[in-house]
Amino acid sequence: MITKKICMLGSFAVGKTALVQQYVHSIFSDRYLSTVGVKISKKNLVLHDQEICLVLWDLEGKDAYTEINISYMRGAMGFFLVADGTRRETLEIALNLRTLALNLTGPVPHCLLVNKADLSPAWEITRKDLASLREGGLIVLETSAKTGLGVEEAFAVMAAGHGADGPGGNIPRGGKE
Amino acid sequence: MTLTAGPPGSPEAADLHAAEQETVFSAQTPAVANTRGPLGPKDEELQRLRSLLFQREIAFIEDLRASLANPAAQAEQVSSVIAEALLLRSRQDDRLSIALEPLVDSIVRDALRANPEAFSSALFPLMGPSIRKSIAESFRSMLENFSKSMEMSFSCKGLRWRFEALRTGKPFGEVVLLHTLIYRVEEVFFIHSATGIDLMHVVNEGVDSQDANMVSAMLTAVQDFVNDSLANGKAGDLETLQHGEYTILLERGPAAYLACLVRGTPPANFREQIRSCLEHLLMEYYLPLSRFDGDTSLFAGSRVRLERLLASRYVDEGQPLPLWIKILLAGFCLGLLGGSGIWKWMDYRAQEQLREEERERHGLRQGRYASIGLLRGEAGLSILHVEPDENGPWEVFCLKDPLARDPLEVLREHDIDPSAFLFRITPYVSYEPDIVRQRVQKAILPPETVSMEFSDAGVLSLSGTAPMEWTLSARQTALALPGVRKVDTGGLADPRTTQLMSMIKLVEGTVVEFPSGKDIPVHEDMPKLTLAVETLVKLESLAARMGMAASLTVFGHADATGTDKRNYEISQARTKTIAAMLYARGSSMPIAMYGMGADYANREKGNVEDQASRRIEMRIHLVRAVNPENDQLGK
Repeated sequence: MITKKICMLGSFAVGKTALVQQYVHSIFSDRYLSTVGVKISKKNLVLHDQEICLVLWDLEGKDAYTEINISYMRGAMGFFLVADGTRRETLEIALNLRTLALNLTGPVPHCLLVNKADLSPAWEITRKDLASLREGGLIVLETSAKTGLGVEEAFAVMAAGHGADGPGGNIPRGGKE
Repeated sequence: MTLTAGPPGSPEAADLHAAEQETVFSAQTPAVANTRGPLGPKDEELQRLRSLLFQREIAFIEDLRASLANPAAQAEQVSSVIAEALLLRSRQDDRLSIALEPLVDSIVRDALRANPEAFSSALFPLMGPSIRKSIAESFRSMLENFSKSMEMSFSCKGLRWRFEALRTGKPFGEVVLLHTLIYRVEEVFFIHSATGIDLMHVVNEGVDSQDANMVSAMLTAVQDFVNDSLANGKAGDLETLQHGEYTILLERGPAAYLACLVRGTPPANFREQIRSCLEHLLMEYYLPLSRFDGDTSLFAGSRVRLERLLASRYVDEGQPLPLWIKILLAGFCLGLLGGSGIWKWMDYRAQEQLREEERERHGLRQGRYASIGLLRGEAGLSILHVEPDENGPWEVFCLKDPLARDPLEVLREHDIDPSAFLFRITPYVSYEPDIVRQRVQKAILPPETVSMEFSDAGVLSLSGTAPMEWTLSARQTALALPGVRKVDTGGLADPRTTQLMSMIKLVEGTVVEFPSGKDIPVHEDMPKLTLAVETLVKLESLAARMGMAASLTVFGHADATGTDKRNYEISQARTKTIAAMLYARGSSMPIAMYGMGADYANREKGNVEDQASRRIEMRIHLVRAVNPENDQLGK
């Protein structure tokens, strides 16, 4: 059994919590997010006959660019960046958080989830933006908390340990020796 | 011939085995074999048959026997697998450590007896902190129990127990002790500190437990939260969480920690058990912990050790305690109360005095640190190290740029007694903007008309007005100074440039007209021409001072009357008038003169007399002087 600590980062109200709510198991209520600043949930999956447990640390959404809870990021073996497709500034915050997080964790797998794909006509973030991010080596997935689009793929990408550090840098972590 | 061998243990098998042994034996030591008497012909036949059939096996058995009999060979064989074997066994269960314990114990005892000095010097750095921690822990647990008894005296539960004490005739303290002794360790979590991942989780029988991974992650988050928000990470670690009758005891190690969920009040030495268990685990799993990558299966062997912590203790309340224990307990409680009262009071007095002294010392220290803090803000001064001394001046080691202020002076300025410090100064070159600015100021000595800006990025910007030659030298000087990366002189103007430009404008704006067929200007244009010529003379010398050489081009024009030849001649003659006037004033300015004849437009119009067409115009060219003497301007 491989267990990985995965953090979820993103601006306030991008739908981080909603995104995973239906697909994960949690024994804690959302109240923890506003009190302790983190909510723990869990996702079990099987990859190449290996059982993998992702322990998700959903960190409280920040509006400021700089804030990231260093203690909660400690030991993270990967992270999701979540942005809201209808609000361009959330992408900038997510990219900022990426830099901050990578400074704390070193090169770990991570991917950007651009949420609210069900509202894509109202998106401020363009496909061109996403294409250029993908060219830069970032794994970008379009997701929807409403329809469930891309959510399972996101977990699979994280479990496989893709997107460790830019193009071609797929460093699988947490695999058995 | 058919040979039959019975099942192992049967008389035939035993017989065959004995015979085989005999054969081997006789091959090695015939003298000894002969003592058993001569072999019969049947035996000899059998023996020959055996040696024919089992020759290879007999040799193999002989080799094996030889190697078994050779302790050196055995040791070699065992040495190649002993480490793996020990590791394997220690993962399976704890029998190995149980077996080794008395052995290690006696080895250590013997070694201690033989060489106590070596042990004491090796243990010395560990003993102090451990003893302190242990004493503190004992006091804490004693006080915990004591305060629990005190607390119980006045609570609702306490009243119930007081009634019970009355009813059963037991002393109250005893009832309290009996009740608080009940506990049950329900769950134990072995958690990786950095990630909060649950490495192993054991549960007591019948306990309904939550998802261990989520609980351990949240438990880790809560500790981080408490550390970050309440204690700012400075007040040590969270040790206990209390909720109703549940207690979570946390014991931290460098890479992992243990969390025990206990129902009721655990005994005082329970923490000691957790600590010891954690120490063993940290030692056993040192490598998997330091290279932890999420694979929790490596920690499966920790279950046995963790399960030992799942203790329960139930007290049989119906069983009365012997009288002597009651008396002892009562005496102990009374003694404890009285003794602790006096001890507390004396301790309080002594502590108060110590605290007062400490407060004074603390105040002094704070004051001195604040003074050094002032110096830290001083440009060009870098405090490297401070040696605080309780009884004398503090030695302060610092680097100082020659342009920085004297630290003593700074202290005096803030009314601080400088004798409290002894400065050990090493000169250095500071790159702090304030100091670089001073350095530049001293080196380039800017005139009052120049203002200076210096950015943190090392860019010096000069603006205002200054002679060009100053600008050039200031630029060179500044660029050679430490801390200046770039010099921007775009904002600097030379006042003479303005003057030069206005002179050029005047001369080039002057148009002098001539009467028909004449090379002397019309009367009213004479003053204009004179002014232009005089300006040219001045311009020549100013340009020379600025390191430039001026040259003049004069264009003469004629109207369209008369022949073209004549027109070219007259227009040429008009330009010469200017040249003559200029040279008459001592100028040596090179002059190019062009007689342009009649303008094309006028020629098109035909034979028209027009004064405006009979004119000269001037253009000035400035070039940087090739003569180096001209560069030495201002002389």
